Amino acid sequence: MKWFDRFLKIYTYIILALMYLPIVVLIIFSFNESRSKVVFTGFTLENYYRLVNNFMVWDAFYNSIWIGVVVTIVSVLLAILMSYGVTRYSFRGKAIVDSIMLVPIIIPEIVEALTLLVFLVILGFSLSPYTIIIGHVAFDISFAYVVIKARMAGYDPQFEEAARTLGADEFKAFRKVTLPILAPGIAAAALIAFLESYDDFIKTFFTRPPGFLTLPVYIWNMASRRGFPLDLNALASFVVIISLVFAYVRRRVERGVLR
Amino acid sequence: MNVLDLVRRSRKLKLFLFIGIPLLYLFIFFFIPFLIALLYSLGMFKQVVYQYIFVPRVSLDYYAGLFKYPGILKLIQRSFYYAVLTTLGTFILSYPIAYYIGVKLDRRYRDTAVLIIFTPFWINFLLRVYGMRFILHEAGLVNTFLRLLGFVSEPIKFLGTDLAVIIVMIYSYMIFMVLPLYGVLEKLDVELLEAAATLGATPLKTFLRVTLPLSIPGILAGSLLVFIPALGEFVIPELVGGPNTATLGTIIYSLFLRVRGVTGWGIGSAAALIYITMIVVASYIYMRFVGGEVVLG
Repeated sequence: MKWFDRFLKIYTYIILALMYLPIVVLIIFSFNESRSKVVFTGFTLENYYRLVNNFMVWDAFYNSIWIGVVVTIVSVLLAILMSYGVTRYSFRGKAIVDSIMLVPIIIPEIVEALTLLVFLVILGFSLSPYTIIIGHVAFDISFAYVVIKARMAGYDPQFEEAARTLGADEFKAFRKVTLPILAPGIAAAALIAFLESYDDFIKTFFTRPPGFLTLPVYIWNMASRRGFPLDLNALASFVVIISLVFAYVRRRVERGVLR
Repeated sequence: MNVLDLVRRSRKLKLFLFIGIPLLYLFIFFFIPFLIALLYSLGMFKQVVYQYIFVPRVSLDYYAGLFKYPGILKLIQRSFYYAVLTTLGTFILSYPIAYYIGVKLDRRYRDTAVLIIFTPFWINFLLRVYGMRFILHEAGLVNTFLRLLGFVSEPIKFLGTDLAVIIVMIYSYMIFMVLPLYGVLEKLDVELLEAAATLGATPLKTFLRVTLPLSIPGILAGSLLVFIPALGEFVIPELVGGPNTATLGTIIYSLFLRVRGVTGWGIGSAAALIYITMIVVASYIYMRFVGGEVVLG
């Protein structure tokens, strides 16, 4: 069976390499000067100059960041409340509450997006960046909850009880004991919540006001035209670098959680 | 301080604070919108100037409108075709990888291997799909490769075809299949495999009788994680497909954001509810057929 193991190994390497191929190709072509676009004819930085001078991209990037930050803060706070309640209190219907929290992860995003849009419009909300935030929080609570609850369920509530015995009330015990222990879990949850919001396209696309751009919406606007807008390739290099930084930070944070 | 003291003392108030507020948020901004969209698709909201008023009368006009839509059955059929092929394709391609990393690879390198699989999926999904356009183009990598090997003399036109959509869908959804499969295979007790071999089972028999049945929870989770969103996919058919690759997702998207208006939204909501119904029915049948419980994460 030696040959079979070797086959598996080579196969795995090939598929993994193929996973990276589209990204590598995007970056290579960001340096292409050709007008035919799909054949590499010569090196240029022109696409990058155009990217740097394109204020729409930077505006979209800024929107993605601030929306992501607000969404992260709100959903992590709500998720902390929820995880604390579920792990520290017993009440009727706990299992149901727990599974309700998972529903937004399973429902396809396009359905979430359009039901929210119908709801907002029927109630007479006008679409604004805040409607995007409302929509993102609705799925991010679930992602943050899964991570924080896992952390909270994983440690001994006796620490809190000890603090209570020593005279701290529940709020103080939470602030001084629970929160520091939870910190790595909260950091991991915040990172996931931020990335889900920062990278979200479908829900943003449905609930945004006309003309409002986030980075994924801008990418869609460029990519959904026929042809090969090479500025988008330059943007891809930029996005790839940022994503790699996020991936690295996340890895560090997750190591912290495991420790 | 009075309110705080009250909260401190009352268990019910605390429970409301901890459980009630997040739950209320989800109800208002997640579950009630579903209900509203359902009522909307049943024609129970009428637009009067700039306001919507509730009319307690059920009409199936929007559903009828959806099924009168030209080629709608073809669209639904195509969505299933894409989703089923994507699920099968990701499964066939992922299983050997998950098996290699989860069973054969030295424990020390597993985390790194998972990280290597994961990293491309950190990069914006739309950009990855756009990148595939460079690869599948007539002058792109695949065609160059095929021509160098002498398989084709004329470049194959992938973009705009079913094949392009399916290739890109498999590429985009792989991760949702690899990770659950890896999750079960990594926990697989290697001694079981050794025991089967000691008792005289051939490697193939060991695989069919031990490994495969034990990976059923991962197969279930993976195929639902792929199938459910794949059935409503609209981004990939838009970006690498053409006029002949429209799906259920495409129609929902264009009814909502291109046709617009009361009719567009009504028929669009009807389509979305049919989509949800199909998911529930298909998942139910599938789980009955394969058996076992879904373990997420």
